[in-house]
Amino acid sequence: MKENEVSRRGFLKASAASLAAAGVAAPVYAAGSDTIRVGIIGCGGQGTRDLVSCVKSSPGVQIVAMGDLFDDRLQESLKKIKTDVPDAVKVTPERCFVGWDAYKKVVQTDIQMVVLTTPPCFRAMCLQAAIEAGKNVFMEKPAGVDPRQMRSIIKTAELAQQKKLSIVAGTQRRHSKKYQETIRRIHGGQIGEIVAAQAYWNGSDMLGYWKWWDKENRSDIEWQCRSWPWFTWTSGDHIVEQHVHNLDVINWALQGHPEQCMGMGGRAVRNLGNIYDHFAVEYEYAKGVRVLSMCRQINNCGSGDRIAERVVGTKGYADVDRGVIEGEKPFKYDGPDPDHYVQEMADLIAGIRTGTPINEGKQVAESTMDAIMGRMSAYTGRALKWDWAMTASKLDLTPPQYGWGDFPVEPVAVPGKTPLV
Amino acid sequence: MNEQGRHEGVSRRGFMKGAAAGAVSLAAASTFNPRAFAAGSDKIRVGLIGCGGRGTHDVGKCLMAADGVELTAMGDMFKDRLDRCRRDLRTSKDLPQSVKDRVKVTDDKCFVGWDAHQKVLATDVNLVILTQPPHFRPSHLKAAVEAGKHVFMEKPVAVDPAGVRSVIQSSELADQKGLTILAGTQMRRISHAVEAAQRVHDGAIGEILGGQCVRLGDAMRSWGPQQREPGWSDMEWQLRRWLFLTWLSGDFIVEMHVHNIDMMNWLIGSHPVQCLGMGGRQARTEPQYGDSYDHFAVEYEYPNGLRVEYMGSQIDKMTDRNDQRLVGTKGSLVADFAGVRIEGQNPVEIAWDKNDPCVKQHADQIEAIRRGQRLNEGRRIAESSLTSIMGRMSAYTGRALKWDWALNASKLDLTPPAYNLGDLPMPPVAVPGKTQLI
Repeated sequence: MKENEVSRRGFLKASAASLAAAGVAAPVYAAGSDTIRVGIIGCGGQGTRDLVSCVKSSPGVQIVAMGDLFDDRLQESLKKIKTDVPDAVKVTPERCFVGWDAYKKVVQTDIQMVVLTTPPCFRAMCLQAAIEAGKNVFMEKPAGVDPRQMRSIIKTAELAQQKKLSIVAGTQRRHSKKYQETIRRIHGGQIGEIVAAQAYWNGSDMLGYWKWWDKENRSDIEWQCRSWPWFTWTSGDHIVEQHVHNLDVINWALQGHPEQCMGMGGRAVRNLGNIYDHFAVEYEYAKGVRVLSMCRQINNCGSGDRIAERVVGTKGYADVDRGVIEGEKPFKYDGPDPDHYVQEMADLIAGIRTGTPINEGKQVAESTMDAIMGRMSAYTGRALKWDWAMTASKLDLTPPQYGWGDFPVEPVAVPGKTPLV
Repeated sequence: MNEQGRHEGVSRRGFMKGAAAGAVSLAAASTFNPRAFAAGSDKIRVGLIGCGGRGTHDVGKCLMAADGVELTAMGDMFKDRLDRCRRDLRTSKDLPQSVKDRVKVTDDKCFVGWDAHQKVLATDVNLVILTQPPHFRPSHLKAAVEAGKHVFMEKPVAVDPAGVRSVIQSSELADQKGLTILAGTQMRRISHAVEAAQRVHDGAIGEILGGQCVRLGDAMRSWGPQQREPGWSDMEWQLRRWLFLTWLSGDFIVEMHVHNIDMMNWLIGSHPVQCLGMGGRQARTEPQYGDSYDHFAVEYEYPNGLRVEYMGSQIDKMTDRNDQRLVGTKGSLVADFAGVRIEGQNPVEIAWDKNDPCVKQHADQIEAIRRGQRLNEGRRIAESSLTSIMGRMSAYTGRALKWDWALNASKLDLTPPAYNLGDLPMPPVAVPGKTQLI
């Protein structure tokens, strides 16, 4: 609390000066009000939790606008936030928007910040609309599902930079004190020169967490958007949707992204949608540093479950997820590690209020790209290079047009047959 | 003694003592006397048990490896396979006439059926080549050692922990009886790998901190009979398609990629302490591919927290890979079948000298037999086979598992209820999270 008060005071000076110097129009609220008016686009489970975290993170947060493809999802979310953070909910029916243009309507309101929590396939589109409309952004990971969307995210992040707008991504480990202190030591040479790393998300099939909607009378696209975790075009597959967290930590520790990768995977159990249930990818970073990534969504694997990141250097190794360094200079983080989901919102809002915007757009686009290229390699059986994927790949998973039309489910990928596009 | 010495059983100097001791125990235990070969002129009579493609290949290399070596007995489950092998050995363009002349198998020394190996062992052969499907290796090795025969056996040497334990026991018995055992992991005798292993063991890349072993190859679709013939029982169909049945081959992580995994164990100087694997079948899904997976990825953890990645596939049109890498405190190594490159503080490039390691391994064994030297790779190849087997077990079940548990406590035994050419349902494909870790 105290920190935020200091920050708020600091904000008035800092923002006025920097904005004037840059010749950028100041955000509306700079005129005086301390209230942060927040809108949300994508009122699912994670979006709703993010709103609650946002309110809890900082004083003066008001939720004023909501948008979703589906009214039932929006109403469910509204009910939940009214229960959890009733004082912060200032949404009126006029500021609840549903349908394909809901995102545009939300960013046209007088919000200062928007939470982007649609399925990943819509992230690039929503981010562009938000930044063009001059809104600060919290967006969930991943940043999208294909290379084309990553190019868009990076471009939009540059625009945000010019407009001095914040983009914080839901790779919340970046906002963990434990992770920060461990990574700081890695960067400071405490494990020597990095020679290898491993990243894992081997966990459950997520069916107890994400809902599977029956097709029933729904159109292809409505059904797939509701059941978005289970389709590659909507979620990017679980290596992108979930494992991006761990790959992001590796990029962070290694201060770069992979140069190439070779992946494999398949579905050994899963029979919903068209995503895989396991991946293993070898990533090669600069100077030939090789990283093993494993992710799996299969229940009852017991001792085979593991969610972790390890970085190996010439003088020791770091289990970043545990905040532990073993080797010549051992370390164990035992300080406070506040809720990462709240901390990321606090950092974002402090940045907005002090006029020192945080921009994680490119960073999360690159981590998402790690995962996307790993998936592309596993689906096709082909090794591929970062530069090719980033600049030349024509993969575009977007349906021909958005609407409630037909969109047959793509067959499950088969390595050696699915073409590398 | 360095790690390689440990793996090879005993150093040469150590042998002289051991052999002398062995000779004493042999005199008591057996009528077989390895000293009979010390004179040098004696013939070595070879028996082949398992007349498939690899067996045929191995016999050719063995007969090439030294003078005075003759093939005198053959055994296989199926007569057509035996006949084809015998014909190929007579007509092969790859074999010089001098080698073909050493094929001296008479009709009465050709045996087929479930007990063919026993009949081969009952002849006067000194050395047997064991090349039936890997499932049979432990029982054949046991029978061969008990019969007092030297053994060349193809990799892998088991498909389950029960088999691994048996091979280790038989290897110990072979030591007691002064018999040699050589395994067909020919990378152990390819010039550049031998030199690279020596350099790594001497510290060329410092302490090892990480590694990768990646082998991506085709789906082996042209292998074996494509159609089940009328009259073939379930068992016969599975035996003839053994490569794709886990109970027979161990799956390809064991059957083929044990070469690469053995090389990692060799370079690192140890077997792993635990592993975490995953895999499945995504492209090679037709029923004639049995219960085999088409991809595996396993993280092996060696002592001191060293984590090494293995990735393998048998899927057509994937990117080709076949390489081993290590990174250490002083540099890195990349090795494949053609050469080795070490970078860092002690850089060197070592090319394969083009000598055929498949001949050299037989030459080494024949020399050891003739000189009465101890040469026993049984335990080492059993350990490398178990490394592969535990990776498969982890991938099939989804569980992480420990070496000590797999070696000592696992009860997995893939032996079928009966050995007869009758009904045998096709085993289901393993499903991680459902297939039990036994």
